[in-house]
Amino acid sequence: MKATGRKAIFVIFLFLLFFGLVSRGSAAEVGVSADSVTVGCSNSFSGPLAFCGLEMVKYGAEIYFKQINDQGGVQGRKVIMKSYDDGYDPTKALVNTKRLVEQDKVFCILEPQGSSPVEATIDYLEQQKVPLLFPFQGLPLKGRMVFTAHTVYPREAEIVVDWMVQKKGFKRIGMIYQDDAYGYTYRDTATPRLKSMNMELAAQEPVKRTSIDLSAQMAKLSQDNLDALWMILTPGPGAMAIKEAKKEGWTKTKLFATGPLTDESFIILSGGEGEGVWGFSDWPDPVHSKKPAIAEYRAALQKYAAGHVPNRYSLFGYFYAKLFAEALNRAGKDVTREKLVTTMESMKNWENGVIPPVSFSKDSHAAEQSGFMVEVKNNVFQPLSGWVSLENGKLVERPLGE
Amino acid sequence: MRRVSFFRWTLILVPCLVLFFMAPLVLSKYLVFILNLLAVYVLVAIGLNFVMGYTGQISTGHAAFLALGAYFTAICATRASSLPFYVLLPMAGCFAGLVGFLLGIPILRLRGFYIAMVTLAFGAVVSEIALQWSSLTHGDDGLRVPSAFLGTFVFDSDKRLFYLIQPVTILLILAARNIVSTRVGRAFLAIRQSETAAQTLGINLSWYKTSAFALSAFYTGVAGALFAYAMTHITPDSFSLSTSIDFIAMIVIGGMGSIFGSIIGAVILTAIQQLLGSLAEVQMLVFGIALIVFMIFMPRGISGALRSWRAAVKARKKQSLENTPKGEGYP
Repeated sequence: MKATGRKAIFVIFLFLLFFGLVSRGSAAEVGVSADSVTVGCSNSFSGPLAFCGLEMVKYGAEIYFKQINDQGGVQGRKVIMKSYDDGYDPTKALVNTKRLVEQDKVFCILEPQGSSPVEATIDYLEQQKVPLLFPFQGLPLKGRMVFTAHTVYPREAEIVVDWMVQKKGFKRIGMIYQDDAYGYTYRDTATPRLKSMNMELAAQEPVKRTSIDLSAQMAKLSQDNLDALWMILTPGPGAMAIKEAKKEGWTKTKLFATGPLTDESFIILSGGEGEGVWGFSDWPDPVHSKKPAIAEYRAALQKYAAGHVPNRYSLFGYFYAKLFAEALNRAGKDVTREKLVTTMESMKNWENGVIPPVSFSKDSHAAEQSGFMVEVKNNVFQPLSGWVSLENGKLVERPLGE
Repeated sequence: MRRVSFFRWTLILVPCLVLFFMAPLVLSKYLVFILNLLAVYVLVAIGLNFVMGYTGQISTGHAAFLALGAYFTAICATRASSLPFYVLLPMAGCFAGLVGFLLGIPILRLRGFYIAMVTLAFGAVVSEIALQWSSLTHGDDGLRVPSAFLGTFVFDSDKRLFYLIQPVTILLILAARNIVSTRVGRAFLAIRQSETAAQTLGINLSWYKTSAFALSAFYTGVAGALFAYAMTHITPDSFSLSTSIDFIAMIVIGGMGSIFGSIIGAVILTAIQQLLGSLAEVQMLVFGIALIVFMIFMPRGISGALRSWRAAVKARKKQSLENTPKGEGYP
């Protein structure tokens, strides 16, 4: 009993000593001080999406914040970004997010990544009334404090189906999709959309997330005489699909990549076999676009990360940090989380020089609702269309503005 | 004398426990959440210690039992929402325990490396089932876990969950302490020392080795249920091979064959995860180095080192008393 009692007391003492009996006071607004605003995110800096995570945070958002901090910050406050690695693990994402909110006292969560990690944190953030801004994922998210970034997958699926059928006259559309929420969202949106046009998916093949061999699926699909094969995949399997199509000698079927897949990185992974592949793009070409706003991004990258190659992921991070800063500025000096949300809901037609003007409202927290079609030519995505969107159920195309 | 000593320790222990249970009133929500996770890891470490520390069988897929408990709880809580936690927790433990018992039977004849390989494969199978059986588990999108409840009281915050997770953990620690002090615990230790000698003494190897697996799986299954409540959302990614390796590191560092060592190991694992939260790759490096260092220089872990130190202090004290001439401080 003596030894047990001593050990028990030692254990309890260990807990108390380690964690501290400290009561925490509360600031006027969490994450906001006289000279700084602290934002945070849990992102993938290791694991399958490490490249995307590092680019959007370290070479995107942080680059933008360095730029504006050097110019005096927002309303005289420097913007500080804290980030933790979750390795695309939803458990770690939740632990990190709780740490950011409760221990690091961040003002909002900005640019986390991944459908599963983000979904694991949404209920918690809504409960705590912490804004969740511009996650890099495409599932529709509902929440008073949630603002989404690029065009959500269902909207993209509707646009692409309409464009393929109405503009290109495709009759037999097939789909190879990741066997999870990412893939199901496209499949379950495309199916009724096609049905409304008296059509259906001519073929569909699921692929497990961890698959690296798509030969069986592609061999089956090559029997289906498709006009187009829509690839709802991540870069690795997407590149595999392209290589398999080349091996099978596909000439008639157009390969079409989803928004998240449309980046030069998967073209590189396919070893130069991506010539002629089509895709849905949310972003102008970060390397070649002559738009002043994109040139500004390239200049900032050159100044704060000389030699780093521009890409769509770091452009995403830079752009949405800029949008956040714009909202923060409009909210004024006495900013609160609630005030930020209401300020963002009042933003109409924000001209940004990168994507179509951004508008939010009480009913719409989506920054982007359009995209444009591209084709790989000489290993670069070249535009095939202007900005395409759906307005009142009809396909509308506007100039790209290059 | 013994009664006075018991009374004295109770006077110290009870206020400490009261202070401990007042922690949610003064600590931040995040620290309370970490304490809850810590309690889960303590139960996992105790469970793993039954099989590795006490009976000497290597289990490299223990995250699978955590997954079984977590998914069992999440699925039952979703599909049979009227089941309260005090039904679900033991059911989750029994479910995992049954699987552990069934796993223990075929691996009875195996030794060392081969048990490690089988348990590794078991971990991979469970992870793959959780990923592929998407109609039941929602695959890698994961499952939302409904909150535990007691009547109309819902444990829907970390502070409320503290009053569910910590008492359950303390009860199971006390139960484990009792188990290892009984004939069962002595049989486990005998098996670890030498299976031949244990058999000679009349210890039924098959029964005790299988029971160790079942008991270990039960504890880890209950930990899985508590983990599901704490995380509110579970996916197969939370129960990977690296998680199993972390669990082994916990008991190696804390001390194998020691309940106290299980607690120390869990505290150290949690502390390293928190201190190195932004550096995942450094975290893995630190764990790996710690594992190697401890296995070479401190194979009995921190609790073993503390025991040795106390024994050395006692021996020195006794020696100095024996060396002291009579009349000088000698009664």
